[in-house]
Amino acid sequence: MKHILKILELLVTISAIWIGLLQASIVSSSYAWLLPVYLIILLGCYGLFMVGVGLMFFPTCPQESHLLQKDIAEAKDFLKREGIDVNSD
Amino acid sequence: MELADKAVGFLLTTISLSIFSYYTFWVLILPFVDSDHFIHMYFLSREYAIIIPLFAGITLLCFLSMFIGYVMLKSKKKSA
Repeated sequence: MKHILKILELLVTISAIWIGLLQASIVSSSYAWLLPVYLIILLGCYGLFMVGVGLMFFPTCPQESHLLQKDIAEAKDFLKREGIDVNSD
Repeated sequence: MELADKAVGFLLTTISLSIFSYYTFWVLILPFVDSDHFIHMYFLSREYAIIIPLFAGITLLCFLSMFIGYVMLKSKKKSA
């Protein structure tokens, strides 16, 4: 419940700033009208950028993967010997 | 396999950076340029700067709702 309130608070402040900008005419009127669309596109671009950067610099740890596979094989062997059926699709 | 991941990541970053720079240039910088500069040939008229993102957003919403509906129908058919 508190998280929704925080998000709503953020939205209300941003819209208040936007309406204030429109009224006070600090920047020209056409800019103030285009600002929300620009902010949404900026947010989408930022998300896409973070996903791309995360994909590029994701560490794969090949040694850990190898150890994990050995652990899995050992566990399967042990359980099969004890009689429990571990069948992976 | 990691090379494919890195290639996809690189593609995503270039797409996002190009969209950001093109849109920023279009909306923020172009109104200050003289109207007979050659750079105006590379950008559409400014009404399209609102129509195109709006259209893309509506298309995305339609696609998402169709996908959710399809998945719900498929799961209901399987459980019935």
